[in-house]
Amino acid sequence: MTYELLNGLTHAEIEQALKLGTPQIIPCGTLLFRLGDPADRLFLITRGRIRLTAPIQVRGQEESILTEEISAGQTVGWSALIPPYVFTLTATAPLETEVIALPRAALQEYFAANPAAGGKIALNLAEVIGHRLHLFQTMWLREVQRAVEALSA
Amino acid sequence: MEMLLMGLCVSMFGLAVTAIAFKAATRSKSTNSGAPAEVPLAKTVAPAQSITGRVAAASTGPPRQIPIELLLLQIENHVRQEQAAAELFVEFPTHALLHSKTTSPFVN
Repeated sequence: MTYELLNGLTHAEIEQALKLGTPQIIPCGTLLFRLGDPADRLFLITRGRIRLTAPIQVRGQEESILTEEISAGQTVGWSALIPPYVFTLTATAPLETEVIALPRAALQEYFAANPAAGGKIALNLAEVIGHRLHLFQTMWLREVQRAVEALSA
Repeated sequence: MEMLLMGLCVSMFGLAVTAIAFKAATRSKSTNSGAPAEVPLAKTVAPAQSITGRVAAASTGPPRQIPIELLLLQIENHVRQEQAAAELFVEFPTHALLHSKTTSPFVN
């Protein structure tokens, strides 16, 4: 299994980083975390899938609307490394999913002790966040364009 | 050969009569009922200006609302299509791909 967050690390560094975490099985339909929860760990998906959702009012009732799906090898919960360390979406497993939970405190200690590996992980994290930013910026621009067209129609 | 042509003519005539009868029947139903014709499913949430606006429009819309499960499915499909379009733009950034069209009923 290769994880996007650990790209470019040596085999030994990957082993060390993975030892910081705890494997968890998330049963089908179970919450991994909820919007507003304190984010003290991030997750590497080993198998399965995680749905990230946000609440939207539909016909007067709150519904969870899909914003993104994360699959094996990808990272979920990077809010654990970015202040204010609070999850901004809700994560659910739509099928039995296995993750490795990496606590922030353990990662920070590891980064301090292994700055080279920490730097690579930080760059990988920047890539994950940057990709998400590009996607949502594009989706937002598309929506604004449609709003402008609707207003000028 | 003549029999075959005769059969074809009769069949075409029968088909034309059926089509005219069907058109007349459906027209009289929509004009006599007094109620507005049923809006196609894909258009029930289309006229507003944003995703949330459309959802709100659907909530205050005509009495014949689509089931909420179907609406949620449409929203999810819309998000997936928008995300796929955005992925394509991020991979190949061009003006055309930034505002490429999808088949989502929310934007058509």
